[in-house]
Amino acid sequence: METGMPVYRGLMAMNNEEILVVRNLNVSYGEAKVLYDIDLSVKPGQVVACVGRNGAGKSTLLKSIAGFLKPLSGSVTCDGVDLIGRMSYDIAKMGIKYIPQDKKVFSDLTVRENLELGSYATKDYNWDQVTDYFPKLKELMDRKAGNLSGGERQMLMIGRALLGSPKVLLIDEPTEGLAPSIVSHLRTVFGELKKKSSLVIVEQNLPLICAISDKVYAIKEGRVIKELAGESVKANICELYL
Amino acid sequence: MMDTQLLISGVIFGLSIGSIFFLMAIGLSLCFGLMRIISLDQLLYYSIGAYITYSVSLMTGSVWLGALAGMVVAGIISFGVERFIFLRIYERDITFTMITSFGVLIGGVGIIKSIWGVIPRPVDIPTLTQISIMGTEIPVYRLIVIAISLLVYLGIWLFLNRTIIGKAIRAGIEDVSHVEGLGINVYRLFTITFIIAGTLSGLAGGLHAPLIMVDPAMGLEVLPFVFMVVIIGGLGSIKGTLISAFLVGQVVSIGSIIYAPLAQMAPFAIMLLILLIKPTGLYGSKLLKR
Amino acid sequence: MKNMFRWWWGILSAFLLLAVLRVFLPLPFSNEIIIFSIYTMGCSFLLGRAGFISFGQPAYLATGAYATAFYLFYFGTNPYIGILIGILAGILISLIVGPLFVRLRSDYFALVNLALAVIIFYMLQKVLVGITKGDNGLWILTNIASTPVLDLSRPSHFYIFAFLVAMAVWALYKYLNDTIYGACCLASKINEDKVEFLGYSNFKIRLTAFVIANTTTALSGSLYAVYLGFVSPEMSSSHRAADPVVVTILGGVGTLYGPIAGAIAYTGMKDLISGLIGNWELFIGFLLVFIMLAGEKGIWGTLEPLLKKVLFKKNASKTER
Repeated sequence: METGMPVYRGLMAMNNEEILVVRNLNVSYGEAKVLYDIDLSVKPGQVVACVGRNGAGKSTLLKSIAGFLKPLSGSVTCDGVDLIGRMSYDIAKMGIKYIPQDKKVFSDLTVRENLELGSYATKDYNWDQVTDYFPKLKELMDRKAGNLSGGERQMLMIGRALLGSPKVLLIDEPTEGLAPSIVSHLRTVFGELKKKSSLVIVEQNLPLICAISDKVYAIKEGRVIKELAGESVKANICELYL
Repeated sequence: MMDTQLLISGVIFGLSIGSIFFLMAIGLSLCFGLMRIISLDQLLYYSIGAYITYSVSLMTGSVWLGALAGMVVAGIISFGVERFIFLRIYERDITFTMITSFGVLIGGVGIIKSIWGVIPRPVDIPTLTQISIMGTEIPVYRLIVIAISLLVYLGIWLFLNRTIIGKAIRAGIEDVSHVEGLGINVYRLFTITFIIAGTLSGLAGGLHAPLIMVDPAMGLEVLPFVFMVVIIGGLGSIKGTLISAFLVGQVVSIGSIIYAPLAQMAPFAIMLLILLIKPTGLYGSKLLKR
Repeated sequence: MKNMFRWWWGILSAFLLLAVLRVFLPLPFSNEIIIFSIYTMGCSFLLGRAGFISFGQPAYLATGAYATAFYLFYFGTNPYIGILIGILAGILISLIVGPLFVRLRSDYFALVNLALAVIIFYMLQKVLVGITKGDNGLWILTNIASTPVLDLSRPSHFYIFAFLVAMAVWALYKYLNDTIYGACCLASKINEDKVEFLGYSNFKIRLTAFVIANTTTALSGSLYAVYLGFVSPEMSSSHRAADPVVVTILGGVGTLYGPIAGAIAYTGMKDLISGLIGNWELFIGFLLVFIMLAGEKGIWGTLEPLLKKVLFKKNASKTER
């Protein structure tokens, strides 16, 4: 573990305790059950990936952790604090930020105003953290977010979520539909980010995700069918399980 | 052809009526845009504003004080309704909340009846002065009403575009769950929006009171017109609401000069026409399936 | 044969109830309930099957009523023909406005119907005052001829007629429910896209429901016209818009017994409450809010599972762990 790093808000960089723990999570949409007994854990500074086909339940998992869905049963804890039943904005305030798949930003507001909202919510007005990772945003400050390209929107979404130094970033399919240059930029960014926050990333792009992840959960039809770590985190091995 | 004097006073009349419609339609529009509810109970806060104006002006002799009191009371009551009723039903579908708000409106009318009775009450016009515009005598009061509504428009614009809460509301109108995901308590935004709506409706009632007789059913009488404005202007658009409010006001006013009953009906006809072409209203958002 | 019986027993038992009430309650009250039930059945069908709430049902009520009244006032004296004309008027107006209204979003739909009611109100009151006599209304009581078998000009016979009509309407709705059409309606409420994919047209489904529901409403208007012997523009005023909404919710949305239960409860309460506190709006408003907050199943909707629980209590206790 790295020592000598500044102490981040709540981040227990000093010990090996898990920062996010999901146990026996069961979730359904109305009558249809989507997740069965999911177990998942994330340590500080880890990049954890969830891979699986469309409809396997990966987005549902992230949404449930973030508080947008109420599970049937199971537990989700962050630093030992129970998350189930809390409002999604409380969970976000606690340092768990959800970045959805839809690449939607507030299009009627400018980039600056989008960031202002993030600062208002977290009381963190240090935008350097954002522009250090995404320098392009500095130029785009006064542009209406609706006029940004897909890649720029993704940068805004992630950048905005960085405000308040979140403990965990739940990112849903970040590279979907993006140009390769932006994808590789994101790859570098994720590599840097993991020093400050843990990342849980849902992805379809196996080579990419395996290159940066410490741990991979393969999800199929609502269940975790394999947990891979260390050496076995390789694209070809992942594919075997999907 | 119509003589100019009649036309000018008709236009002013239409603008002042339009102003009243605007003040109420803003609330409805914002409530829909952010919370996806049809808040028919705004008509109740309008009535409350008018009745409080009546009572306070009787007690203190000042109609302006009455209107102010009407605004405040309407705002407080709308806060109560939001906390006790709407808070519980935000997730339900739009028809559900509409029916519930309708119930609040009807029940509120009943309360008004029991306190003030059914007989219509008159409220004095605060100033009887008239000024001459292009050779026509125009009541200053109507001009004041128009001025107030334009100030409100400006105020709302500033609020939505220059304050952080206003920006949060605009963001919420686009996507509430994204705002939640940032860590902002959206229910506080809902309450703020609802109170703004209720207060403005109360103001509309207070301003309108001197121009008409205050009676328990006044909310119900104005309901079709206000909804006309909202549907034509599109739910969720402030600019569209202003334009369609003045439009409907003009139609009612000029139309009644030409042929009275037709004028009452014309906004409805226009609305039907517009919905025929564009089922979401002139500026309305395309969102929302049924 | 057994299925036939099961199918009919529901209808029969509901109407048995009404017949029993007829014995105990004064005739005007019973007539009021029956006609109002038909009105409610139409609204309930609209909300329950098509998924629309309309704040403007008085429009269609007035259409049927005035069509019948015009006939009886200006043309003939046979009330049956008058009622038929009322039905036709209902079909006509539904087919005219339906194609537009049915395409709209649910909230616009509710309000656009209100707009229609107001337009019709003004037309009846002012614009067509020549033939409608405006606020004075049309008196047709004396125009109604005595008819053989069931003399509609006599309240007691009228009740029997209305009763039969109500049963017929109820049977029609039950039949529709059990057909593919009924299933389509439900599906349309739940998932529009899937319905289209299956090859059905949402628009056609909704339009048909719209026409059926509003024709029923017009029919009830015609019955009012014949029963009361009088029509006035007030029938279409926006003040009247609340009644059908409330009673539909009260009776439970889309159920078959609901409208009848709701109509009985509503008419009864109106009489009772008006006598007691004289402030009908207060009561109905609070009631509506209360029902909405408590659950949208209405009187019958909440009672039904309770009743079932009570009746099958013995079985339940056996299966409990």
